[in-house]
Amino acid sequence: MGTTRTKIRSDVSSNLVRGFGYAFIGVFGLICLLPFLLVVGTSLTSESSIARNGFNFWPRDFSTFAYKIVFENPDLIIGAYWVTFGITIVGTAAGLFLVAMTGYALQRPDFQYRNGISFIIYFTTLFSGGLVPFYLLITQYLNLKDNYLAVLLPGLMTPFLIIMMKSFVRSIPHAITESAKIDGAGDFRIFIRLILPMTTPALATIGLFIAIGYWNEWYHSMLFLSPDMQYRPLQLFLYTVITSADFIRSSSAASNVELRDLPLESMKMATAVVATGPVILFYPFVQRYFIKGITVGAVKG
Amino acid sequence: MKKFKRISVLLLAMVLVIGLAACSGNKKANVGGNAANSESKKPSAEAGAIDTSEFVKISYVILGDKPKNGQFDAALKEVNKIMKEKINAELEWKWVEWADWQTKYNLLLASGEAIDLITIGTDWLDTWGNAQRGAFKNLDDLLPKYAPQTWESIPPENWAQSKYDGKIVLIPEDAYTQWVNHGFFYRGDWAKEAGITDPIKDWDGMEKYMQFVKDNKQGVIPWDSQGGTSTFGGWVQSYTGNLELPLSTGYLPVFASKSEDEKYTVVSPVFEDTMINFAAKMKSWADKGFWREDVLNYKGDTRTLLKGGLTGVDQHHTQTFATLRVDMDREQPGSELQMYPFSRTSGNLPELSITHGGTSLGAHSKNPERALMAYDLIRNDEKVYRLLNYGIEGVQYEIKDGKRVRPASYDPKQHEFYSDFWGGRVDKLEIPSDTTWDQVEETLYAEYDKIKKTYAYGQFVFDKTPIEAEFAAISQVTGEMGPAITYGKAGDPVKAVEAFRAKLKAAGYDKIMAELQKQLDAYKKLIEG
Repeated sequence: MGTTRTKIRSDVSSNLVRGFGYAFIGVFGLICLLPFLLVVGTSLTSESSIARNGFNFWPRDFSTFAYKIVFENPDLIIGAYWVTFGITIVGTAAGLFLVAMTGYALQRPDFQYRNGISFIIYFTTLFSGGLVPFYLLITQYLNLKDNYLAVLLPGLMTPFLIIMMKSFVRSIPHAITESAKIDGAGDFRIFIRLILPMTTPALATIGLFIAIGYWNEWYHSMLFLSPDMQYRPLQLFLYTVITSADFIRSSSAASNVELRDLPLESMKMATAVVATGPVILFYPFVQRYFIKGITVGAVKG
Repeated sequence: MKKFKRISVLLLAMVLVIGLAACSGNKKANVGGNAANSESKKPSAEAGAIDTSEFVKISYVILGDKPKNGQFDAALKEVNKIMKEKINAELEWKWVEWADWQTKYNLLLASGEAIDLITIGTDWLDTWGNAQRGAFKNLDDLLPKYAPQTWESIPPENWAQSKYDGKIVLIPEDAYTQWVNHGFFYRGDWAKEAGITDPIKDWDGMEKYMQFVKDNKQGVIPWDSQGGTSTFGGWVQSYTGNLELPLSTGYLPVFASKSEDEKYTVVSPVFEDTMINFAAKMKSWADKGFWREDVLNYKGDTRTLLKGGLTGVDQHHTQTFATLRVDMDREQPGSELQMYPFSRTSGNLPELSITHGGTSLGAHSKNPERALMAYDLIRNDEKVYRLLNYGIEGVQYEIKDGKRVRPASYDPKQHEFYSDFWGGRVDKLEIPSDTTWDQVEETLYAEYDKIKKTYAYGQFVFDKTPIEAEFAAISQVTGEMGPAITYGKAGDPVKAVEAFRAKLKAAGYDKIMAELQKQLDAYKKLIEG
């Protein structure tokens, strides 16, 4: 130590392993990155060049035309961003609180029906009612059509996450709860002041799962939010831009469809770039928290 | 503990019952009680005069992406002025966008929501299946009273084709000419240079033309196609009398019926020499270099390339040809785009089903009478018809020498208009457009009229349930092996077809064949009594 750094002696085999590891991870990282570069490259290529040469990483015929079209209606994309951000933040906060509470309550030995209720929760992971009953529940009984709640509510509590939370809380001795009770704390105070701080790693992990779920959510939005709404979540916005063009072009079933001027390849790609770009810029700064949460969660849980 | 056990057993039983009910429930999702009970609230209808004192909103479910530029809304506003004045109602368009439209369309009908009018199509929107599930109101008693003009204008034999279980459940789009039979498009100027003076009438003629393009046109790929387009159906139409059945096996048709005379006999062109001949021909085309080496992964847009003069052939249906011809005359002056419809070789050409488009009334509609009155106006009132189909005169179109033309101030982005109304267009109210080739009637339509045959399967309700799994498996196989055979990239054609057949057999081909034959026998009884 001190001024001279002790080197761990390295022999050939560990060097080999290290070299191989770097190479493998490097290649793997590149493979993950290439599709995105292809998207960026294509979005900056003129349409005629795409028709002639297909997609490419480096624009042969540089053009920003696609971005001009995309930014003609910037409010649609900005609105979509707001909706997605809103749903993600509200959903994650509320979902995390509910999942944590449920997980904790189901773990309390002095809670009489905990096994029965746990069973009901597990049971839903094995059987589902199917799409039609689910659709009826949301549209007919809860009347949530064209309401952001239709997207928010179904993602709030996932049985899998509740199970995860429950198994994590199990590592906290029940004695803590009991001693707090003797000191006169109520259940909510115990939960918020004692349990939550002790389960931060689990909360980070579960929160990440919920947040990613909401961020990528498009299916429920597609089912319950009709085009009559001005702003719909980002992923759905992207999905509609890309699929409708494909559908109209390829379908002979709906041969009624007149072939109008469709969103072009470059425009699809530009939309994708605009929709993912900010997230990519924002991600490196928060990534370390995610990794911490996941690793700690993995060790403990 | 005992108490807990009892409760959990009870709960388990409850959950199971609910679960089972939900699983079997999607077969007959007739939610909200029986549709037939929702009689109109106003007995005054019997008095003869129709009571329209109460202002109502009528929804019309339409397939398509909602227009964003406000032009449609402007036209609808004008329509609603007329609606208000004539029937004291207001129309609203409910769009079902193309992203996952099938799921959403069927859910909308299954959910028992109060929808009024809805676009249907027996060959692509599972209309008979939805009728079976009780999604539509029956119209027999309502039509003569509330949609008299429509009722009068549609002949009884067409009403007969609009019945499910003996009740009228839809209004067919039967008075509108459109031809969606496929064929090859080729350039007339290049064909002339190649010494082809008569219209091309078979695939060998196409070959001759493409060979000429290959040899004489620098930098042009004769047919710059992509693997996603299958032409096997076209080949079957050209070289056999087989009729297409209203069911899809994915990439290419595996099943067809034998011929016009034996239309209730199932055959498979894949298991006859038809497929071998096709595969051999396509292999030779591939070897001659009529398309790219990487055709199976290629994603270029053939139509754009044709307009750019970079390819000499495209493949789609007649309606597409009619507008493409005009585009080509503008983009490639003198190109004289021609079409070789696949039916030209054999004369095998069924008409489009009259229920390919149409309109039904939702079973839970709150105002069925007014909805039908609104429909009667849409279909028969010239003003309303033009507003809904073409937009506003002076903004979207002007009429010059009996044709629709774009006004000078027209800007494609700002003024683009579409309503995707495919539920009852009629030829007599149509104004020809200058974006459609004006000779399509005297050339192609006239040729079709000589050979066309009545569509035979308009009332055929294909029930997929017994063979659902096999059907999915077959579609999977066609998607997997079809493209390589279609574009001659599967090695020896005979071996490739044999491998393809073996895979289909393994996927349950025989079972589907038997089931289809059974259903067609039943259909024969229904039609021939």
